[in-house]
Amino acid sequence: MKLFFEIIDRYIEPGDASGLLYAPLSEPLTYRQTRRYEFDVEGDAEKVEAFVRHTLLDDVSQEIHSGDEPALDGFRFVLDYGMKPGALDLEKETVVRFFRGLKDPGFELNSLTIRQRIYVFGDGAAEPKRFIRDICNPAIQNWNVIEATHA
Amino acid sequence: MEERPRALLLKFPGTNCDAETARALEAVGFETEIAPISTVTRELLAGIRLVVLSGGFSYGDYVMSGRIASLVTEQKIDAALKEFRDNGGYLLGICNGFQILTQLGLLPEGSLVHNTSGRFQCQWVTLENRAPESPFLKQLPERFEFPVAHAEGRFVTADPAEADGYREKGLAALTYADDVNGSFASIAGLQDESGRVLGLMPHPERFMEARDHYDPDWAGGDSGKGSGYFLFQSLYDAISNSQ
Repeated sequence: MKLFFEIIDRYIEPGDASGLLYAPLSEPLTYRQTRRYEFDVEGDAEKVEAFVRHTLLDDVSQEIHSGDEPALDGFRFVLDYGMKPGALDLEKETVVRFFRGLKDPGFELNSLTIRQRIYVFGDGAAEPKRFIRDICNPAIQNWNVIEATHA
Repeated sequence: MEERPRALLLKFPGTNCDAETARALEAVGFETEIAPISTVTRELLAGIRLVVLSGGFSYGDYVMSGRIASLVTEQKIDAALKEFRDNGGYLLGICNGFQILTQLGLLPEGSLVHNTSGRFQCQWVTLENRAPESPFLKQLPERFEFPVAHAEGRFVTADPAEADGYREKGLAALTYADDVNGSFASIAGLQDESGRVLGLMPHPERFMEARDHYDPDWAGGDSGKGSGYFLFQSLYDAISNSQ
């Protein structure tokens, strides 16, 4: 069973998207960054969510969104990126090591994938490929882009 | 020979201010032991008067600063630090240590998140001592300077009014004189109701000597000591006098 959780910082305001790039954008775009966790598990889904809330969520400063759909809306596009399966993801290893130390977590963790998610907002004409080029490292990371769907 | 009060400094993977913090504790008279978290047991706390969590980037600040360290601490010794506090022990958390203490629930509820600047900030700041009777701050003046070095130092609460409440109740022991990182109520340091737990973002251990000050003509250094020395000295005196 696959379960998806996205963690959103409540207190981080949208930043200038030019700050993510080597050269400034001609159009004013903003961005927000969240973190997405993909759990491949066997067992009790409620226990998985309880683990996520206890381990990965800060109740004071963050919010959680469950499900595969992007947590935020109104974006121009979303850049989802993270470590390739064969690359060492130290953050994932830290979380998994902590999980392995739990006495009775109530589920089996087959795999965990952590993705950084960048939402880009605004009406500018910037192409996702500029963001991919400047943010992602193709040697160790992979990515996908979610374009906004307009009704 | 008089017995020196014992301090235990917990070290996590990524802690990097343990050596200078231990030196600061020794300089004022504490007998100090640095213990990697993997070796820490409840029994190790026996006879300890002060537990210190120093600065650094425990577990690479993964998930969020202090989170994994707090979880591992709970896993290793469960609620032993709360019991230690309830039995009269003192706890000091500096920078990453402050972040860990908040995550452990040993301080009034709040969290330390990314600075509003979005950058790591390494600078000197002016602080206001709002708890002059605190065992940690008794020998410090109303205003003094400490260095800060953090990316996640903005103190926030679920509702900003809570942070204002901490100031009114005297729990906001230290505040920034200027807006440094966007902290609610300008909180730089927080104490618990007992007054025996203090967390602060600035680094007192980096200002032990007057010569550590950025200004070689600093007017506050007649004693040859920096303001950080007096934080540790206050604590040493408070603990020695309570023995």
